[in-house]
Amino acid sequence: MEAESTSQASAAPSEPQPSTERIKLNVGGKLFETTLSTIRTAGPDSLLFALSNRPANDPNPVFIDRDPEIFSVLLSLLRTNHIPSAARRFSTQELADEAAFYGIESLFRSAAAPPLFSGIDASIVKSISPASEGLPSTFSIADNGAVWIAHGGQISGYDWSLAHSGTVRTHLDEIDSICRVWPEIAAVGSESDAGLHFYDFSSSRHVGSVHWTDPSDPRIFKARVNAITASETSLFASFDCPHRENIVLEIDKERFQIVSQLGRQSGNQAKHMVPSKLTFVPATGVLVGTAVTSGAFGYSGYIRIWDPRSADVVWETNEPGAGRSSRFGDSFADVDVDVEGLSIFKLCSKSGDLGMADMRRLGDDPWVYLEEKNPSLANYGDEESNLLVHCCWGQVFVGRGGSLEVWSRVQGDGARSDGESGGKGLYRRNFVDKRSDSERGDIKKIEGGGDRLFVSREGVEGIEVWESSHSAGAVPVS
Amino acid sequence: MPPFVSSEANGGLLQGQSNIVTIDVGGQLFQTTKQTLTSAGPKTFFSRIAQASSPHYAPFIDRDPEIFSILLSLLRTGNLPSKAKSFDLQDLILESQFYGIQNLLLNSLSSPSNFEPFNLHKSLLLPLNGRDSPSTLATTSYGSVHVAHGSKITTFDWSLRRKSTILTHFTAVDSLLALSPSLAAAGATDFSGLQILDLDKGHVRETLTWENVTRSGSTVQAIGSSPEELFVSFESSRRNSNTIVVYDLHSLKPVTEIAHNEIYGADIDSAIPATKLQWVQGYNLLMAAGSHSGPSGVAGNVRLWDVRSGNVVWEMQEKVDCFADVAVSDPLSVMFKVGVNSGEAFYIDLRNLSSGGNTSNTWVCLGDKRKVTNGKKEGIGCKVETQGNQVFSTKGGDVELWSEVVMGNKKVGETVSVEGGRIFKKNLMGRVQDMGGAKITNLAFGGSRMFLTRRDQHSVEVWQSSSREL
Repeated sequence: MEAESTSQASAAPSEPQPSTERIKLNVGGKLFETTLSTIRTAGPDSLLFALSNRPANDPNPVFIDRDPEIFSVLLSLLRTNHIPSAARRFSTQELADEAAFYGIESLFRSAAAPPLFSGIDASIVKSISPASEGLPSTFSIADNGAVWIAHGGQISGYDWSLAHSGTVRTHLDEIDSICRVWPEIAAVGSESDAGLHFYDFSSSRHVGSVHWTDPSDPRIFKARVNAITASETSLFASFDCPHRENIVLEIDKERFQIVSQLGRQSGNQAKHMVPSKLTFVPATGVLVGTAVTSGAFGYSGYIRIWDPRSADVVWETNEPGAGRSSRFGDSFADVDVDVEGLSIFKLCSKSGDLGMADMRRLGDDPWVYLEEKNPSLANYGDEESNLLVHCCWGQVFVGRGGSLEVWSRVQGDGARSDGESGGKGLYRRNFVDKRSDSERGDIKKIEGGGDRLFVSREGVEGIEVWESSHSAGAVPVS
Repeated sequence: MPPFVSSEANGGLLQGQSNIVTIDVGGQLFQTTKQTLTSAGPKTFFSRIAQASSPHYAPFIDRDPEIFSILLSLLRTGNLPSKAKSFDLQDLILESQFYGIQNLLLNSLSSPSNFEPFNLHKSLLLPLNGRDSPSTLATTSYGSVHVAHGSKITTFDWSLRRKSTILTHFTAVDSLLALSPSLAAAGATDFSGLQILDLDKGHVRETLTWENVTRSGSTVQAIGSSPEELFVSFESSRRNSNTIVVYDLHSLKPVTEIAHNEIYGADIDSAIPATKLQWVQGYNLLMAAGSHSGPSGVAGNVRLWDVRSGNVVWEMQEKVDCFADVAVSDPLSVMFKVGVNSGEAFYIDLRNLSSGGNTSNTWVCLGDKRKVTNGKKEGIGCKVETQGNQVFSTKGGDVELWSEVVMGNKKVGETVSVEGGRIFKKNLMGRVQDMGGAKITNLAFGGSRMFLTRRDQHSVEVWQSSSREL
């Protein structure tokens, strides 16, 4: 912006620009005049770029039969790389469609996207709710911020601008896990119905299924899917049979066929349960699976890391363990993996503390507990039944009952980078929400993507969308 | 403003010598004079346009013509035309940045010279995300505001349209001073050292600490600044020594140390660190005030320091009805306080201060004198701030505006005869519906606006005059 303005400022007045550099456009009867360099920022594949290749010195303006007011917004976008406030008169959908007509959709998308998500400064911007049976059972967020919500056996899709893009009815009564295999293909599983199923969004139809079978063992049948995750080439899904025997299958993303099996176990103990959460870590190529149950004696579960190439368990931990842990009796209630930062975060069920383990230095007791330094916040309240942790953008989001908090890293001290207060170890806890937000219901799922955070709550229709904004959002006092 | 163009030049015949400039902005033609364009300043975009133009050539600018027409009006008159209201200020700011005339826009909208104390009304709420109430506020002279809430600092720009939030090392910031729109000094009473924070990038640029004798940490009790210097009141973490360190504002190197106290035994007075620092430009003095609440009531002191010599020029011990807050008004040459017991306002005329005899100077009560000795703490938490020729004090959820009434042909601040005294009158600010909100916790002034925060409210309240409303 700054560089662009100075270069234009110095170029425009110093040398008279030849008229060939300019282009006149007649959009829906309104005349616009701009320079070829502005038009060409649209990119070589766009309609506008094609217009700029007309013979030079044509005195007649190019006629485009479209709405002039939307065009003036898009022209401002081309000139300044910023969407002007006049755009507020139009819906995002209208603008996106018109931008697609001129071939500048990617430019519009990057200008319309919310800024980097910061948990310490985010507010709820809207709630997206499917039209029927709006209680979401689960949902999935793509990297560009597109959303799939599973609700009552249907999957509703919303594009990057959160506009409804389509709904697919599946043969399942309830979808409990969903994963994006390809941009248009969803893998879904249900805890009440067998098999992993693939649905194509563009044709709204079932395109394949994978079932866990074992010809040598007739007890393996009707295996249900508990968790799904995807790597670059494969899909990993954990299956369990009605008699609790379970396995993780690696499935080829192209052919929907089983490639390998890992971690088959009997399921007769807490430490042999089916993994309820799977995360693939691309940086190291390992798969992290976790399982947690809660009962009268508290929480128990395990974290296990497999290397899919050898199908071996690389590392595992069980809680409650044999007393090795410095926090015996305070087993985790939820676990999530920070895929970029290569850390595992666990949320302790009794103390409510957040523990962090560096995946590069896992040992017997790798946990470092993040401290709440603010005495007024140190009391986490009563032991919550509903604890959730989700890592995204290097921030750790924690749901405790209905309240949503974020642990974010304080930027190091420039002067003393490895002093005791500087360095990378310092996390601070803050609430993302207001107290009134937390009263809407217990948080069921937190997921981030496309610089938005999505939250679903127990018994609440739709999912909440949180965004950071540079806009002050000043409210006039009447 | 630009001179008028003679009528012959407007006729168009004399265009060769005339100073009329034609500009083509986004396909629309504009005509103006070279003087108007160069009034933006030398070496700006417009002055180059003025040079480049000739009668036969209209420079082409590839920008939005409608916003240009508004900025041209701004250039011509120094004020925004009323039709600018149909545009978003953010668009105007971005375009004015392109043309390099953001200063004109800023001057017309948010200059401190446009401050109209009698015309302020509650106009905006700036919401803060999260659950922390604001702990302190800092403003710059052109009206951007930094708000500390919990461990975060949120900055609103001068137009109050954009904000950014950073995370700090503090659990809560207790003192905050804006050094520039993107730089602030922050300290806390439970955190060692003063941090100079870069609010754009969110990192600590520098940490200033005070090496005390006991080698314990140094917490920050107050921050103040003069045009050249930064004053920081430190107390050792063991609370057995305190000082005011003077830093050079630009290099942030310590210059000198005044008011260094080491505490031995039960000497309460020297144990009180300064909790408010205010530079008094007209007298070249630093006002430092601190108070301490003990079982026998609140006691404190107010001192005026000559920073260069390191001497106390004037001192007032506060034993009966100690101040809840105190501030100096430079243009009025007066020091104002609200008594913590009485809740009434008091003043001392700085012009009458005699350096030797402290006893001759006493606070003049502007309210009910009988309340001075009452045991209640009616004034607790009251704030006093000065801006322009006015003194603002808070009482609960209301702001009182004190102004001097000048009788006869005396000038403001002129010494008056002993029998008369000076006349200060108060008004409650705001309309009926604006009054009686939650207790005001912070009060600050910036640009032509007043900012305040209230207890348990997650927002900053902005008061501005309706003619300057953005």
